[in-house]
Amino acid sequence: MERDTLRRLELLNQLKLTEQQKEDFLCFFDKRMEDFSAIDRIFDTSDVERMVHVMPIMTVVREDEVVKKFDREALQQGAPETDEGYWCVPRVVE
Amino acid sequence: MKYETVIGLEVHVELATKSKIFCSCSAHSFGTEPNMHVCPACCGMPGMLPVVNKRVVDFGMKAGMMLNCHINRVTTFDKKSYYYPDLPAAYQTTQWFAPVAVNGLVEIETSKGKKNVRIKQIHMEEDAGKLVHDIREDTTHVDFNRTSVPLIEIVSQPDLSSAEDVEVYLERLKMLLRYAKVAECEMSHGTMRCDVNLSVRPEGSDKLGVRTEMKNMNSIEAIKRAIEYETARHIDAIENGTEVLVQETRRWDDIKGKSYAMRSKETAGDYRYFPDPNVMPVVIDDQWYETVQESLPEFPEVKKEKYVGYGLSDYDAEQITKSIALCECFEAAYAVCGNAKDAANWMISEIMSILNARKMTYDMLDINGKALGELILLVSSGKVGRANGKKILAEMFEDSSIEPEAYAKANGLIVSNDTSLIEQKVAEAIAADPRAVNDYKNGKEKAIMSIFGRCMKELKGNCDPQVLKTILIEKINSL
Repeated sequence: MERDTLRRLELLNQLKLTEQQKEDFLCFFDKRMEDFSAIDRIFDTSDVERMVHVMPIMTVVREDEVVKKFDREALQQGAPETDEGYWCVPRVVE
Repeated sequence: MKYETVIGLEVHVELATKSKIFCSCSAHSFGTEPNMHVCPACCGMPGMLPVVNKRVVDFGMKAGMMLNCHINRVTTFDKKSYYYPDLPAAYQTTQWFAPVAVNGLVEIETSKGKKNVRIKQIHMEEDAGKLVHDIREDTTHVDFNRTSVPLIEIVSQPDLSSAEDVEVYLERLKMLLRYAKVAECEMSHGTMRCDVNLSVRPEGSDKLGVRTEMKNMNSIEAIKRAIEYETARHIDAIENGTEVLVQETRRWDDIKGKSYAMRSKETAGDYRYFPDPNVMPVVIDDQWYETVQESLPEFPEVKKEKYVGYGLSDYDAEQITKSIALCECFEAAYAVCGNAKDAANWMISEIMSILNARKMTYDMLDINGKALGELILLVSSGKVGRANGKKILAEMFEDSSIEPEAYAKANGLIVSNDTSLIEQKVAEAIAADPRAVNDYKNGKEKAIMSIFGRCMKELKGNCDPQVLKTILIEKINSL
């Protein structure tokens, strides 16, 4: 794995790694990629239909009906901060 | 050198369901207080499991069928990683690996002729919440009312090549989805939004240029202006080297008429899709598929041909098929009155005019078509005068439960056959306007119209105009 790729993963996962952690990750990922490429060499899956789930299972669906079970105050009880019915978070735009 | 623009669209459409896609909260929160339609599931609280709303799948399939797509009979949901406070779970539940509909086709007709726009896929997903940044300086306020409201995203192939193409394509999508009653598709209400992917290349080249994306466009006029601006910017960069084009997401500022690159944080495009372990595959069996298929409406072109077969002109048929609500009203009225031309005249001259005057869309029509047919019969049989017929129609706009005949009787709007009353009103009108009588007698035939009008007013329009005219002329001639 390239250092640039690792930097991008850091950004996407909102992580800040130390130099030692970076070295460890690079080594770890290289090994895992090698494992995956070994699987590629063994199996040709080009004409295999995609498996959507490991079990023969399907979802249940519900009818389109409105049910109100919760009120705002109860849901916001655990919030660090609310204001005029809104949840508040640190400002996300400049 | 000549250039061509290559455009692909991603169109988000809010589905017209009552409840959200994965929970039973109301999907309609326009104008309500923040966070009134929320629950632990759509707030992304730990341990909550989504339960799929069947109607969302119905509508996803229906939209796919309207756009000639193949329906995936096993369709699955996936997680799209997304760190932003408008989606509290830090991922969006959407479809990536097996969307509900794929490989469709929409035919459009522009000033350059007909062309096909291929549909890559239609996927179902949840909407994000709303962020408010202007209440306090240090804080972003979060409203989850819109979180998990069901959307479909319609992804086209890059088959569009001008602002006109895009406008016609969007209008066609709106029409088809409204016919199928799966969505309101009103850009000004935010129920239809559009991302525009655009690149420019030398005409005839098969190599695509650098692509930019403009997100969340919500008016066709703004989209047209943005396409024209972006096309000019790309050509300028290619020809004059004014800037280096890079693949990026841009924001369109319609007031300034310019597009701006968004921050890199917002364009980091690795969403790391993976199958959502909380939602099992949706399996559409034959019965489900056929039920949805049977619920499809006739396409606008089929309806138009049918109406021309009823004897309508091409123009009249075209006007009525602009909206499914107009079609349904017309068909119900025609079934009762039996005169297609009459029904079409009322639809076009009266109903569409009223809708236009009230700045209502044709899809907002809420008139009982059967009642309209009865009203047409009342007027065509002479039981109610045309002017009073219009008055009754205006009342029907206010109250769709009105029965025209009962209303006409209750409000004294039935044409009177009482000639003694007509004679009395004629005598009064003649006495009140001797000058007009003299003018008429001296050869000014039009002078009679003022007396005629006065009589009609006195009789509140409830009189056969021909009978009134005959009595009036006889009376004047006998003076």
